[in-house]
Amino acid sequence: MSTVNPAEHVSAHPAEILAPAAWGGLSFQERMATAEFRIHHQAHIVVDGSVCEGCSTRECIVACPANLFVPTSDGGLVFNHEQCFECGTCYLVCNKEGAISWNYPEGGHGVVFRRT
Amino acid sequence: MVSSSGVRERHDMSLPSDVVACLKWVSHPGEPHDERFAGISPADRSALEFALVQAAALGTTVTAVTVGPPAAEKVLREALACGATHAVHVPVHGAMHSAHVADAIAEAVPDARWVWCGDYSLDRGTGSVPAFLAARLGAQQALGIIAVHWQGDGLVATRRLDGGRRELLGVSPPAVVSVEGATAHLRRAGLSALRTAAHAEVRTVHPAATAHADDAVVRAYRPRARALAAPVGDTPLDRLRALTDSGAAVAARGDTVTLEPAAAAARIAAALHEWGYL
Amino acid sequence: MSASTTDVDVIVVGGGPAGACAALVAARAGLSVVLLERGPFPGSKNMYGGVVYPRILDQLIPEWWLEAPVQRWVTRRSTMLLTDTQALTVDFRSEAWGKPPHNGATAYRPDFDHWLAGHAEAAGAQIITSTTVTGLIRDAQGAVIGVRTDRPDGDLTARVVIACDGVNSFLAKEAGLYEHTDAKHFTLGVKETLALPKEVIDERFGVRGRDGVDIEIIGATGGVNGGGFIYTNLETIAVGVVLKITKLGAQQQRPEQIIAALKQHPAIAPLVQDGELKEYSAHLIPEAGLKMMPKMTTAGMLVAGDAAALCLAAGIWLEGVNFAMASGMYAGETAVEAIAGGDTTATGLADYQRRLSDTFVLKDHRKLRRAPELVLSDRVQHLYPTMVANVVERMFRVDNPNPKPGVRRILAQERKRAGVRRRDLLRDGWTGFRSFG
Repeated sequence: MSTVNPAEHVSAHPAEILAPAAWGGLSFQERMATAEFRIHHQAHIVVDGSVCEGCSTRECIVACPANLFVPTSDGGLVFNHEQCFECGTCYLVCNKEGAISWNYPEGGHGVVFRRT
Repeated sequence: MVSSSGVRERHDMSLPSDVVACLKWVSHPGEPHDERFAGISPADRSALEFALVQAAALGTTVTAVTVGPPAAEKVLREALACGATHAVHVPVHGAMHSAHVADAIAEAVPDARWVWCGDYSLDRGTGSVPAFLAARLGAQQALGIIAVHWQGDGLVATRRLDGGRRELLGVSPPAVVSVEGATAHLRRAGLSALRTAAHAEVRTVHPAATAHADDAVVRAYRPRARALAAPVGDTPLDRLRALTDSGAAVAARGDTVTLEPAAAAARIAAALHEWGYL
Repeated sequence: MSASTTDVDVIVVGGGPAGACAALVAARAGLSVVLLERGPFPGSKNMYGGVVYPRILDQLIPEWWLEAPVQRWVTRRSTMLLTDTQALTVDFRSEAWGKPPHNGATAYRPDFDHWLAGHAEAAGAQIITSTTVTGLIRDAQGAVIGVRTDRPDGDLTARVVIACDGVNSFLAKEAGLYEHTDAKHFTLGVKETLALPKEVIDERFGVRGRDGVDIEIIGATGGVNGGGFIYTNLETIAVGVVLKITKLGAQQQRPEQIIAALKQHPAIAPLVQDGELKEYSAHLIPEAGLKMMPKMTTAGMLVAGDAAALCLAAGIWLEGVNFAMASGMYAGETAVEAIAGGDTTATGLADYQRRLSDTFVLKDHRKLRRAPELVLSDRVQHLYPTMVANVVERMFRVDNPNPKPGVRRILAQERKRAGVRRRDLLRDGWTGFRSFG
């Protein structure tokens, strides 16, 4: 399970400039709670944080629409697979070979859209 | 099916399986009318896995049973793909009392030696079908089980008690066992098994006339009412204290007694009755 | 391969609109078809920017409009140009689009795709859900002869595999049909589905009954190149943005922040106000058209839909589901003919390319091949909206006692003020004219 609360670290983003009202009064966690995720215990995307230590751009942190990439205090990167939209943005913007190994979750798991 | 003499007769539609898994088709709380989101609960998935493991060990077959709408056939096909031998669908529309569901299952599989059920279903069920079912089948019951150890032809089931304690139940057939979710991980159906199961036979057993759908069972959840005597006290504060058990009233209850098991059980029952829980 | 040695005639990977149409066509021709869907039901992984144009379905499901799970019929199309404080809208309405045979519709993809896949199933295709395809099975010569899935005993062989596995298409990549994958060619769509009472939606968007609105917005995405959209469902509206993924990191702007900013724009806020967030979602879009398209065929395999980058993102035309349905249909037809003719090699399947080339699927893309780049270019994104909005503002501003200035003079002044070079403007204008004209 995730040990990092997305709502807590979101304010750490340098891009965090909008007032809470701009979010419609919703925390990021509440925003993500509107989508259904059938979580599989095994992570379908694995991030090798040690590769990320040498990355200066870290575009995944900003680009992931589910905000799943969390910088750690020691310069690494933690990825939470639970609320993943399975979109593919992270592996496309990643410029470090071998940092992200990307797969779809086991059939029947992952995001289940309803009103999209 | 019960004859007029009250003797249980072998149902001519009954199946040979010794092991039965009961699967409840529940709708998604967020999408109550959408079959795409309906399915069985994690507890039922565990029950099916236990049934498959046990049947393999006993060298017998598994019958998966569901009481529900036509769409519920989908979970029976998945059960078949996972390794169940037979599937029985008792078609009903709408909600039913647990007792009637148990009637319907007992009719469909009257000779079951082992019946596996999930504990509470996703739709805030009461978990009472297994108990009714055990009564109907004249079987032992082991309900709310969190772990199973196979032992000879029977098993030892672990049950949760208050305060982190556990109790072990020796269970022998015929028995109804209900398990909590995540106690077993249902195996993933194979691809060719899934393809075959799509065309496999699902037997339909219509419930007897008595087991009709009940319209009035969906009610708001309310804890059982407790009858309380009028509070005694001179001031409103005292009466409030008496009503809410705060302060001294609680302390007075903390009896520590040493009794023989039978006497202890009687004392506990008396205390629960006195406090209004029974 | 001969029929006796494969499990089925056709495997379709993915239960979206491309896969459903491919399976429908192949199953109707009497072939044995298995459609593998990784979600719990077809449509459960799918999300889009709002409008489906099902005209091509006339060929598969006559009078589809009587049964398709549509939210609203689009009878009003607006194109909006935003600056921080200004908005210029071109608004078109057609009564005809609200009546059969209709034009575009808003629909929830989990509903629409599920419905369409139901037709494939009714035609005899076997749909197996909750099953992720993990790779291709190929023979010694490299021809595709089946797929691997993540289920036990999970290999399945077929004479033709039709890969409709979406924008990330790992199957097309594994088959070597994509030369390379470039992040520049993708945009990220994020959207919010907001609940509002139907009467409120009708009133705010000026429609009645099942009539609906589709608004495409340019200049709404801050420093990140892209576009915005709002469209009406029956009792929800969807508001979202499409963003060039390589620009997000550079601009240090998160997707949901860009939506939030769009929702606060003075021209947008009154439309979306008080909408309760029902669902937040995201999906990639293959944006670059012809530039990124893979080879469509290899021995034993065809690619259709987003997997083949068949998505038209050309500013005022934003279409994908219709391209998916059509390419799926043509892939299905090609598979049927190739199997009947006993040749499922690359040569036997080559007719697929011809079908795509001879129809709107590739004709539209060829015609609009320069449009995606133009629409997402920095000038169109960041300079022209301000320039155009300022021109219009000055045209409509009554500056008495000064007399009205001539439009040409305003244009020249605003072009300079926006920092647009005349030669760039002419060139973009010419590109636009050639693309859209």
